[in-house]
Amino acid sequence: MYYREAGRLVKSFASDRRMLPLMEDRWIVIAFLAFMYIVVTATASDYLFSAILIPMMVLGVATLGLNIATGYTGQLSLGTAGFMCFGAFAAFNLVLRLEMYLPFAFFFAGVIAGLVGIVFGLPALRIKGFYLIVSTLAAQFFAEWVFNAYPWFLDNNSSGVVALPPHHYKVFLGQESTPFNAVFWHSYQGRYLITLTITLLLVLACKNMVRSATGRNWMAVRDMDIAANVIGISVAKTKLMAFFISTFYCGVAGAMYAYCYIGNLDFMIFNLRRSFLIMFMVIVGGLGSILGSFLGAIFVYGWPILITRMGDWIFGGGTLDTAFVENNSKIVVGTIIIVLLIREPGGFAALWLTTKKKLRSWPFAN
Amino acid sequence: MNMSTESKKPLLVLDDISLSFKGVKAITDISFNVYEGEICSVIGPNGAGKSSMLNVINGVYIPQEGTITFDGKQFNKMKPHTAAVMGIARTFQNIALFKGMSVLDNIMSGRNLMMKATFWETALNIGRAKREEMEHRLEVEKIIEFLGLQSIRKTPVASLPYGLQKRVELGRALAAEPKMLLLDEPMAGMTMEEKLDMSCFIQEVNRNLGTTIVLIEHDMGVVMDISDHVVVLDYGKKIGDGPPSEVMNNQDVIDAYLGVSH
Repeated sequence: MYYREAGRLVKSFASDRRMLPLMEDRWIVIAFLAFMYIVVTATASDYLFSAILIPMMVLGVATLGLNIATGYTGQLSLGTAGFMCFGAFAAFNLVLRLEMYLPFAFFFAGVIAGLVGIVFGLPALRIKGFYLIVSTLAAQFFAEWVFNAYPWFLDNNSSGVVALPPHHYKVFLGQESTPFNAVFWHSYQGRYLITLTITLLLVLACKNMVRSATGRNWMAVRDMDIAANVIGISVAKTKLMAFFISTFYCGVAGAMYAYCYIGNLDFMIFNLRRSFLIMFMVIVGGLGSILGSFLGAIFVYGWPILITRMGDWIFGGGTLDTAFVENNSKIVVGTIIIVLLIREPGGFAALWLTTKKKLRSWPFAN
Repeated sequence: MNMSTESKKPLLVLDDISLSFKGVKAITDISFNVYEGEICSVIGPNGAGKSSMLNVINGVYIPQEGTITFDGKQFNKMKPHTAAVMGIARTFQNIALFKGMSVLDNIMSGRNLMMKATFWETALNIGRAKREEMEHRLEVEKIIEFLGLQSIRKTPVASLPYGLQKRVELGRALAAEPKMLLLDEPMAGMTMEEKLDMSCFIQEVNRNLGTTIVLIEHDMGVVMDISDHVVVLDYGKKIGDGPPSEVMNNQDVIDAYLGVSH
């Protein structure tokens, strides 16, 4: 029994529709999750949790959110960081004012961001492509303006940045003083496990949507909206729903960014640059691919870190200055985007699929 | 089906339809009926208004004048969505498939109106969402088998040759289980063999499922063979309407096709 696709006969529609039709793939994923949940949790350093694993997953969720709008439904958006900002502030205010438990706050932060997304998605009913980018850009600037202009959203804090207080970190089991909360929210392991679990749930939900009627409608609107209309798909409803779900993901990512990653609330972080970075993650990773969203996030976020670590390793600690690293990653990511757009518009995800296809008949040419 | 059209009731009644684009008249005062269960061909030289006619029937274009009565309901303005709900499916002259999706997904999307699951249910893959995927897959597989698309059901349509894409588009239209099927040049650009296949599919659909078919076609051999009823358009006006044998001998039609000396 070795890894191959040939000769595996599918005997029912249910098994043909599985997320992972190959038994080996299922084992690989189970092993991977077990590794992430058990081995990584037990062995990784705080640096690995706080600077690499958590932000990569959070950005991966935001990228997946943008991918739902752009990759699956064909609606370009540059408001991603703005929507994350709405999610982060919504979660903060829900916890502050309604004393919501954090997992619920994350969910409703997503819903609030989603509703904002519907409002800014309304122009999509009339305009397409680059023009839509301009209108979603409005969401970005609106977020930066509204949270700057109204300190109420920041609990009237004059500094513009709020460190999230420990009593905000509540799960269902009671106040922040309980051992459960102390373990889960105030250690990097705990935050990592929570981020991992939320990410996993969101990925599963997305996978379920794209393999069912919801996803087919998105892709139909993306590929040819006139034909979609003619076969009875309501194009307006589909676009708005895609915007809602897309910004829901971005909102949850924003809330996680504040609560699980940086531990404070600051609208300056969710700037236009971040929106662009997330768009690059989508392009590099692969439009319309869940795996690609995470590959893109890992690459674009991880490259500067990798460069720094490599520099430290080769030339000794602290040799590479931050300006070099930043410029280098701009050059590398920029070049890769250009090369990918020309050679492989499907991004890393498509490269992976091509490799898999080639390996199927390896060593024979196909 | 060589029953006389008089004994049948009309499924589609077009009454005095006029359509113009900023003053350029595409269709002028056209009226005709399509009867239940027949194959009706709309023919005419290029630019005669055939495709515009089809676009009027399923609401892609809105005529300035005239009414459309489908299945007993009268419309001044048909909308594509309403047309789909009423049971009108169609294919396009330039293939309008969802290029990034597989053959299976394209045909499945043809059944979207029958799928009632909300996005919550699809996200969690529970209840109706899961059940519907299985039920509709069974129906879609019947269409895939009928059209002989089994070996390519998971292939993205963009990578398929033209003839197969046309077939997939027919499959997507059939998946909606329509009362009426509008086919815009289903055989254009095909080889003789592909044309034969396609005309067999069309006739089988008509006979076995009782689907009324309106098609636009340029191949006169095919048209005269499979049609029960032929409507001839020229310069946006109707110049012939009747059984193939009658239309073939109509002097106006002959003039339109062969030209006439003035």
